Amino acid sequence: MRIPTGVWFVPLAVALVAAQNVKYTQDPDWKPPSQTAEKKNPLAEKPGLAAGGKKLFTRHCVECHGQSGEGLRKAADLQLPVVQDQSDGALYWKITNGNPDRGMPSFSGIPELQRWQIVMHLRKLKRAEAEK
Amino acid sequence: MSLLPCPVPLLRARISALMQRFSAIVLRPASADNLFRRAFRAGLLSLLLAAVANSVAAQEAPYFVTYDHHMEEPGNLEIATWTTLGVPRSGQKLFFAPFSEFEYGVTARWTTELYLESQATSGDSAVFTGWRLENRFKPLKREHWINPILYFEYEAINEASKIHKEVVGNAGISDERNAELAATNAHEIEAKLILSSNLHDWNLAGNFIVEKNLSQDEGFEFGYALGVARPLAKLASGAECRFCRENFTAGLELYGGLGSTNGFGFHETAHYLAPVISWQLSDNSSLHFSPLVGLTNVSYPLLLRFGYAYEIRAFGRKVAQMFGGKP
Repeated sequence: MRIPTGVWFVPLAVALVAAQNVKYTQDPDWKPPSQTAEKKNPLAEKPGLAAGGKKLFTRHCVECHGQSGEGLRKAADLQLPVVQDQSDGALYWKITNGNPDRGMPSFSGIPELQRWQIVMHLRKLKRAEAEK
Repeated sequence: MSLLPCPVPLLRARISALMQRFSAIVLRPASADNLFRRAFRAGLLSLLLAAVANSVAAQEAPYFVTYDHHMEEPGNLEIATWTTLGVPRSGQKLFFAPFSEFEYGVTARWTTELYLESQATSGDSAVFTGWRLENRFKPLKREHWINPILYFEYEAINEASKIHKEVVGNAGISDERNAELAATNAHEIEAKLILSSNLHDWNLAGNFIVEKNLSQDEGFEFGYALGVARPLAKLASGAECRFCRENFTAGLELYGGLGSTNGFGFHETAHYLAPVISWQLSDNSSLHFSPLVGLTNVSYPLLLRFGYAYEIRAFGRKVAQMFGGKP
């Protein structure tokens, strides 16, 4: 019996949903200072630079957060509103400082503008989720 | 229709031939006289292999001696091979001192490293010069204006060691043979206070070093290392590229000895000024190069350093999985 091609997508979709770390809860102590959280992304007017952010995300973040930011193991699901509702400045601060006690390293070694590029790509993850 | 041969088998045959050549060079029994030629060839082949490696990263600082405050990412293992090549003054012998480094991120605030080192001198012999185990701890949780890191190292080395991983105390250039030098073992402990700051895209780092040889009664030795580095590009391009500026970081190091408890200061101490450059070959591998210029008459006049680092992502998790750990 030939199984319709579309059927294979069902377990794949189930696996992807199951892989999502929807149980992620934020560390209440991991909050940026209010001044930092209000910082605007200096690259906001240059959306084309998000492509570079995707490359950096693949290089530095995918190992723990997954290709679509779904969050593997203990890492945050970056598609969740609890992450996406944060300001650009807050995300930038979190990339810069990390949260070492919860396993997230600091990425302050990445040049400043490149960290903002990663923030731009994180916003694309939100869009990908909304389109679904 | 293309008249060219199918590229895949051709590539496979070329890689196979390359690997055989690499094995022949590296695994043949070594004598010191032709070790340099082999090392040079092995270096060239490593470069070639690195250049064809899959583009798959690390926040690699270009420094060879100075430490900054960036730790290895938790669960990652970085395997690196570094080489110091000593270009002598007249009457001195050329030496080649390679060492291997295994750096593992235990947690986001604790990195541990194992070093295995050796040395070969022209017209003399090749010897294993010992091992070192170091640990770095990040006491503060967040990024600050100045970020301190605490460093502790145990060294089981012998007097033939010439890797110049750091420079401490009062230096002298020995002309003893390797066999004599290797017979004198040293158990040393070393501590460093690492202070590092990221100022926009610049990294500024300073290390104060204290070392004690437990095998001899020679007091505490002191040293310093200073570094400044900056990536050549501020933005990342969207395309995968190997030669674009964003993959290069350049800097300058200055390091040397500061005497010992028997006489603190610059008298009879070696100091080096070293431009450094690193090239991120792929997401998880990088090449490093640095020529060192000796600044005092007890320094080597010129040393050349080369390094290649490869990072295995989520190494800890992969090992845990082998023993039934959760994926």
